Amino acid sequence: MAEETTPTVQQIPDIPVLRLLREALPDLEFQFIETPLDPTIVVKREDLLRTLETLKNDDRLAFDYLRCLSGVDEIEELVVVYHLRSFRHGHTLAVKTGAPVDDPRIPSVTYLWEAANWHEREAAEMFGIVFDGHPDPRPLLTEEGLGYYPLRKSHPLAEVEEWQERLLEVEERVRAAMAAAAGAPAPVDEKAQKVALAQKKAEVIKKAREEARAKGLSGEEERQYVQEALKRFEEEAAQAEAAAPAAPARPADDRAAKVALAQRKAEVIKKAREEARAKGLSGEEERQYVQEALRRLEQEMGQAAAAPAPQPAAPQRPAGPEDRAAKIALAQKKAEVIKKAREEARAKGLSGEEERQYVQEALRRLEQEGG
Amino acid sequence: MAVQPPERELETLDLYINVGPQHPATHGVFRMVLTVDGEVVEDCDPVIGYMHRGNEKLPENCDYRQIIGYHDRTDYLAQFNTEWTYCLAVEKLMGLEVPERAEYIRVILGELNRIASHLMFMGAFGTDVGFFGTSFMYTFRERETIQDFFEAVTGERMMYNYFRPGGVAWDVPDDFEEHARYVLDRVRTAIDDIDGIMTENEVFLARCRGLSPVTPEQAINWGFSGPMLRATGVKHDLRRAEPYSIYDRFDFEIPVGTQGDVYDRYLVRLEEMRQSIRIVDQALRQMPKNGPIMASGLKRTIRVPPGEVYARTESPRGEYGVYIVSKGGDKPWRHKVRAASFCNLSALRNMVVGNYVADAIIILGSIDIVLCEVDR
Repeated sequence: MAEETTPTVQQIPDIPVLRLLREALPDLEFQFIETPLDPTIVVKREDLLRTLETLKNDDRLAFDYLRCLSGVDEIEELVVVYHLRSFRHGHTLAVKTGAPVDDPRIPSVTYLWEAANWHEREAAEMFGIVFDGHPDPRPLLTEEGLGYYPLRKSHPLAEVEEWQERLLEVEERVRAAMAAAAGAPAPVDEKAQKVALAQKKAEVIKKAREEARAKGLSGEEERQYVQEALKRFEEEAAQAEAAAPAAPARPADDRAAKVALAQRKAEVIKKAREEARAKGLSGEEERQYVQEALRRLEQEMGQAAAAPAPQPAAPQRPAGPEDRAAKIALAQKKAEVIKKAREEARAKGLSGEEERQYVQEALRRLEQEGG
Repeated sequence: MAVQPPERELETLDLYINVGPQHPATHGVFRMVLTVDGEVVEDCDPVIGYMHRGNEKLPENCDYRQIIGYHDRTDYLAQFNTEWTYCLAVEKLMGLEVPERAEYIRVILGELNRIASHLMFMGAFGTDVGFFGTSFMYTFRERETIQDFFEAVTGERMMYNYFRPGGVAWDVPDDFEEHARYVLDRVRTAIDDIDGIMTENEVFLARCRGLSPVTPEQAINWGFSGPMLRATGVKHDLRRAEPYSIYDRFDFEIPVGTQGDVYDRYLVRLEEMRQSIRIVDQALRQMPKNGPIMASGLKRTIRVPPGEVYARTESPRGEYGVYIVSKGGDKPWRHKVRAASFCNLSALRNMVVGNYVADAIIILGSIDIVLCEVDR
């Protein structure tokens, strides 16, 4: 894609605007670009102000209207394009200039056209171009600035954010653990394999093409030569695969592993529940019992998977089920104590304030007992 | 005898007033920090960017056909005009010829969109000046018929996504002409209603006439376009000055103002709606009854040859431009949107300073900004 560039015409055509510019600035060196609507010239950065001042102030040219100012990232340089129009003569012109990426300074033209003010602020913020002499060089669209230049090609459109990356990692580990639990080898990254194969093929094609060109073959012959090289490559690859000792079988189908895991879990839960009922545990206790059984299962599986992969993502629970049950029990106890204390206080005929104190004391006693 | 208050030497402080970003008078998510001395604005710092969504970066990663939808989302009151500009840019780069019937469909929809947008302006501007809901009631009653018409043609009420490089997406319904004629009749009454309640209204005149006059030289230097520029007396309309599509076939006037003040901006828009009705009327009469609506020989994936173009059209708010740099392939290398209200708004400080705070709101309203277009 980057090999193709905008065609520049060396022979400058006879366009009235360009003729006038030649007359006004005979020593100006510029290139001409053919575009469908406006004639476009490219000038050096040093000549920019001279050119634009002449374009605006010379009566024959009189470009009094800056209709658009755009930044363009051309990788090796940052380009600024000025689209101009003259209301007096009705002609248009586009002027381009570039600055190297490591020195992106371009003179500001706000003193010629006030319209450039916001355009330049935007280009500065989006491309990191420094407009020398701009009266108000604050970021425009992002009040506090971004710290990076979003419209540069080096800035990717979207990145996997850190937390997403972590999420992906966890998912991978869980999958590996489950696959291990199902007794199948770790999954093979098929996509990576495909990419590697495609890269190898591309290399073969490139090499064959170069060889063909070196031999001076014609277009059709070259294509055949490349085809043959590719066929050879594929045959070799097939042989290598056949020779390879027992290529890894089609890896664990995720779904089968998941189903196996779920079945195993269901068994554990069922068994634990039965045991709990046999012991005559209450509902809350039964739930805890089952939870513990499940945790034991996960630990076992984690140990099974620990050899190739790190501990499966057993997320740390900030409050384990037992903590929660204890809390609930405590709260219930407290509520009982409060209720009892209140009843006693009322029976004694205490006033509101005294009642509150009485309850507080009962609570304190409870805490001491608990402590 | 009137008693003069004693001249006191008080220390006075400038007051900062923060207008917006969430305020109905800012017509969207826009903020301006006003420095006021009493009632007079001494400085104004417009803050934009609340709606910035990277509408220039996203299309660089999109197929040429996927980009059309992004233009609907820049100027959401003139969607056809924005789509049109973008399609024009791609067509110029590819050297595509648009079939005649498609051109007529585009003109009719584009001009009706201009009317719809100006009706929205009339409603909102009337509210700014002090008509509260009345102006909205009158304009939106008939604007709804235009919306219904667009819905019948495109299937959407807002994000039409109907124009394509090389033509339009599908043919119009059978009752296109009758429906359009019905819409025109209704819109005529809306314009007369608005004209009747606003143009000669005493309060309206007192508040708008002579407010923030702009000279033609200033307007050109500040990069104004559209009604803002024409209100100053510059007879410049891209449909005439740099004709695109088939605008050279229609007979219409370019209304201009004399003072460049807020009142002239209103008058220019009012007259523009009448001219748009004339254009639609002629287009409906000239439009071929059938024929292709899409350029032939277009592949599913559009590949644009290397080159660059700055295409521009006259949108309701002024010059809407799309600058595309192509390096070949199916995605643009650079995709820049020159938004009319972005350029018009950039001179807000020049227009507001020295006026009363209450008038600052009217001046802002008279620019007719669409913040999604400003921030892109």
